[in-house]
Amino acid sequence: MKKEDTVKLISAEGMEFVIDKEAAMVSQTIRNMLTSPGGFAEAEHGEVTFPEISAVILEKICQYFYWSLQYSSYNFVGGKETEFHIEPELTLELMMAANYLHT
Amino acid sequence: MLVEESEDTEKPERSKERVNVKGKRRYSREEKRKGKLLVESALDSKDESLVDGSVSDVELLAQEVNLSDEKPSKKNNRRTSQGRMERFRDTARQNASRFAHFNTQEEDDNILSMEAESEIPSEELEEKGVEDWPGSFSTAMKIIRDRAANLNVRQGSSSSDKVQSLQIKWVPQKCKRKDWSKRLPPSLLDLSLRVLVDNADAIASLAHVPDALRHKLCHMLCDSRRMNSNFFDLLLNGSPTEIRLKDCSWLTEEQFTQCFEKCDTTNLTILQLDFCGHCFADYNLPSTLARSPNSLPALTTLSLTGAYRLSDAGLSALVSSAPALRSVNLSQCSFLTHSAIDILATSLASVLLELFIDDCQSIDAMLVLPSLKKLEHLEVLSVAGLESVTDSFIKEFLIARGDGIKELILMDCWKLTDSSLKIIAETCSNLRALDIGNISKLTDTSFGYLASGCRSLQSLKLCHNAFSDDAIAAFLEMSGEVLKELALNNVGKVGLNTALSLARRSRNLVSLDLSWCRNLTDEAMGLIVDSCLSLRVLKLFGCSQITDVFLYGHSNAKVEIIGLKLSPFLEHIKTPAQGPFQYSSV
Repeated sequence: MKKEDTVKLISAEGMEFVIDKEAAMVSQTIRNMLTSPGGFAEAEHGEVTFPEISAVILEKICQYFYWSLQYSSYNFVGGKETEFHIEPELTLELMMAANYLHT
Repeated sequence: MLVEESEDTEKPERSKERVNVKGKRRYSREEKRKGKLLVESALDSKDESLVDGSVSDVELLAQEVNLSDEKPSKKNNRRTSQGRMERFRDTARQNASRFAHFNTQEEDDNILSMEAESEIPSEELEEKGVEDWPGSFSTAMKIIRDRAANLNVRQGSSSSDKVQSLQIKWVPQKCKRKDWSKRLPPSLLDLSLRVLVDNADAIASLAHVPDALRHKLCHMLCDSRRMNSNFFDLLLNGSPTEIRLKDCSWLTEEQFTQCFEKCDTTNLTILQLDFCGHCFADYNLPSTLARSPNSLPALTTLSLTGAYRLSDAGLSALVSSAPALRSVNLSQCSFLTHSAIDILATSLASVLLELFIDDCQSIDAMLVLPSLKKLEHLEVLSVAGLESVTDSFIKEFLIARGDGIKELILMDCWKLTDSSLKIIAETCSNLRALDIGNISKLTDTSFGYLASGCRSLQSLKLCHNAFSDDAIAAFLEMSGEVLKELALNNVGKVGLNTALSLARRSRNLVSLDLSWCRNLTDEAMGLIVDSCLSLRVLKLFGCSQITDVFLYGHSNAKVEIIGLKLSPFLEHIKTPAQGPFQYSSV
């Protein structure tokens, strides 16, 4: 993956997740940070920090991004839809993170 | 809901009579119907331009009745008599709906109209003629009528069926069919909410969960009937700020008392316990909600709908423990009388913003009037379903408080007439939302008043009203730009004129309800949806005339169509996240 196409998401513990920009844009919040013409530091460095989201949750969120892209991709018509499984223990925090990220 | 039941029992009786009887008896009834129709149409609208459909229907019936006189003469061949039978049956079918709705109020109407006339001074009652409508509205009406007339002239003679004099030019787009099957993936928030609702009993704590998400969870749990006292405990844990339960019918008295006794209510700002009659009475108030004066110091919004065991004394205790109340919803609290409103007015006269007393059958509107006039800053008043609401009530109240009123809900107040709308238009200059559903006495004149008077009207709800297509179209031409929410549920005469005006004027329309408007075609719907670019919700219950041509041919990607294909149950009554008040901030 080329550097320009990727974004780094940093969790509360400091763990870094490098994902495609297109995947990250599934989140409205991240999309606004990266594309708005305000000169956000995030946009310049391509890094976004989430001091309130733990690594486990952030990992799940990144999985969701990719699942979401796959779901809406053109090849999907006629294919079997996979379900996005969420472990019940994570769900409460995941819900709050998803709410914050507008995804 | 008693009226509906009598409708249901009347309908099968009448249809039975129609089906069984095929001889002279039917014709004589049709003659009677003919008479009734003419009388109705004369009373209905004083303007001569009846909607095309009803004129042609009356003519058609007239022809048929004349023909029917010949029928008893035996020598007709079976073939022609069969043909006539078919036509009679068709006409009967067409007119069935008009007579199937039995209106208990029609009998009371005659008595009341005489009373009303004696109450209101006669100058106000002189109905202005059609052409006397406030200036620009009559111009708008003329434009609408000319629109139809010009096309009629061009088309020449028309068939005896309903005259579709306007052609709507809308072509569904082709080969976009693929896009619609590419559905959007569900959001992570929705997915997590669903998992949480399924596993609600496993949730250990709701700490740190923001109120908006708590409300969503409660909403979904109540809808799926999975709400229970464990979750209720979680909600009341800590020091909650907002509690919104749209359905407390599962809650027993003991559970309610137990849970609420230990709740710290010092930070509670919003408390909504709808359908709480089962758990809530005067005797468990002192231990739960009305523990002491000022036990609910921060409470600004209170909703206790359906508290049928709450008496005036109970309400008094509540009000003394919540002195900061600004929005009170006491709908369906059938035990409350006008003294309850007196209590509210005495303690909260300078702060109360919103009052809902829908269906409080023991409250007499005229007795409540003095208290209502004391509420200095009232913005929202809902008296839906109160039969005692009359024109004089509206007049007296609005002359005192009309300029502050932003929302008025008068649904089912069937005694109201056009003169009330005239008062509303004259006094409520800041009116943003109006609900006049099921008020059958209103005529097109009301629209004239509304168009000239309430310039900031953003939400208008009609239901089962007898307005004509032209009047609604003319109103939209004048006030359509500001309108965000419009409900034309079961306004049967809505047709192509309204569709054209909607398409031209309603740039800001977000929510539109066209359920049971059966005169609208696929083309009309397509034009509306493609032109109203802000439209997000379109309700089409009962519009079985709409086909896939519209559903897959329209090009508005953001609109959600509810009521046709299978949509998730209760989807159409989703309530958006709400702040404490509708129009003011805290």
